Amino acid sequence: MEQALAAPAMEAPSDGDLAFEALYRSSRDDVYAYVAGLLRDRAAAEEVTAVTFERAYRKRARFDPRRGNGRAWVFGIARNAALDELRRRKRHAELAVDPADLDEPHAHEDAERRETRLLLAGALAELAPRERELVALKFFAGLSNAEVGAVVGISESNAGTRLHRVIEKLREACDGAL
Amino acid sequence: MERFSDTNAIETMLRELRPAPRPEFIAELDGRTAAGFTHGDSRVRRVLNRLRAIPPRRILAPAAVGAVAVVAIATAVVSTTGEESAPATRANISEAIQPPPGLEEGLNSFGRTLPRGTEANEVSAASAALGHRAIERSARIALLADPEDVADDSAQVFAAVHDANGIVLRSNTTQGPAGRAGATFGLLIPSARLGDALAAISAIDEVGSRHDATADITAPTVAIGERLADSRAKVDSLLAQLASAETESEREAIESELRSERRRAAALEAQLSHLHRRTDYSHVSVRIETGDAPASSGGAWDFDDALGSAGHVLGVAAGVTLVGLAVLAPLAILALLAWLAHRTWLRIRREHALSRRV
Repeated sequence: MEQALAAPAMEAPSDGDLAFEALYRSSRDDVYAYVAGLLRDRAAAEEVTAVTFERAYRKRARFDPRRGNGRAWVFGIARNAALDELRRRKRHAELAVDPADLDEPHAHEDAERRETRLLLAGALAELAPRERELVALKFFAGLSNAEVGAVVGISESNAGTRLHRVIEKLREACDGAL
Repeated sequence: MERFSDTNAIETMLRELRPAPRPEFIAELDGRTAAGFTHGDSRVRRVLNRLRAIPPRRILAPAAVGAVAVVAIATAVVSTTGEESAPATRANISEAIQPPPGLEEGLNSFGRTLPRGTEANEVSAASAALGHRAIERSARIALLADPEDVADDSAQVFAAVHDANGIVLRSNTTQGPAGRAGATFGLLIPSARLGDALAAISAIDEVGSRHDATADITAPTVAIGERLADSRAKVDSLLAQLASAETESEREAIESELRSERRRAAALEAQLSHLHRRTDYSHVSVRIETGDAPASSGGAWDFDDALGSAGHVLGVAAGVTLVGLAVLAPLAILALLAWLAHRTWLRIRREHALSRRV
């Protein structure tokens, strides 16, 4: 992002604004990936991501670093916004990973690997939202187990255990389909 | 096709499935963030947003200052109001003096009862001066004096009673330090001279409080006067019958009835005399008090006065704070409970959303 934050445009950005800008830069794509993975709806994910950073911006003064790191805080806001969206939804969401995306062959990707990816995406879509959320936080947003635990409200070891179970579940689903 | 024998392989592939945002969305979000998410906001909303952005610890100090200012203003208002309604000086040492029971009833019957019959002329001279109404008057005065002035003030009370041809029913004088020294007097003052006597007593020292009361006793006075006239007429009639009685037994019966009627007339006369006395003389209660503080007449405002004033202000401030808390605390507790309930409900609903397949 080339621009500085405009709220204090007439004066030097405060430490809080600079910290928020850094947090935004480092977590923007990860938040989107998490929300899109959870909601499986690109349009809703964009809206929720925007709402997340707007809320975070409004609340930036209330953030207390002693209660956790900034990423966990932003993902906590994103989770609440995503779950609110999930509650509101009456319709079935689209797949976050569009078939169009999957149809696009990755560079140097052979057909077999592409088929495997489709298989995994299908298994992921069959997961319960609670399980899919863990995958989204860990593998889409790149959070550590400790951060996943902080966002979801469980311990780090519990987060690791649950993630392991979900991976096993995905592996069995894929192997069973082969 | 490759099998997922290794969890690392599946994790790697999951990372490859990571959704990526559209560049257009990223550009738009960057712009909104750079603008501080103020685009399209009203001025009020912008102000609210800026207020929300203030850290709580920076709000605490102004909030505390505001609360103190509110308490100070309320204290000033309450103190001013309290001083206006309090007695002029040293209100704390003067007991509240209530009107005598029956006074209101007497005043209410004032317009309903009119003197009638021949006994109206028996109403006392004082009553006659008040338009043939029988009015009982009473007064209470509290004088504030220095301890060393109690004896002198008491002597002046006696002198004032003497000048008014009044009667000292009882008196009690105590010498000692402030608060213990004092005197009380129970006086009977001729009603016709009550005004002069009260003026003389009030001039003895500073008046802490004064209460005057009146009670209209015309109705009982007239009623008893009429019954007395009837009784006397009956006595005269019995005397006439006695004079014309022919037999011994008839004479004895009339004499017996005559004795009874004379006793009744005597009792009625006593009652009427008592009522006349109540209208002719007024009960006056005088109290000389010294209180805890030195007399303010001519004295400078010293350290004790300052302490007393400070204590008073602190007391009022504490009262105001207590009343404010009594009003606000339940509301705050209700708001807190509502907020907690809403949060809990929201959390449950959000977790429930994760349990549904979409």
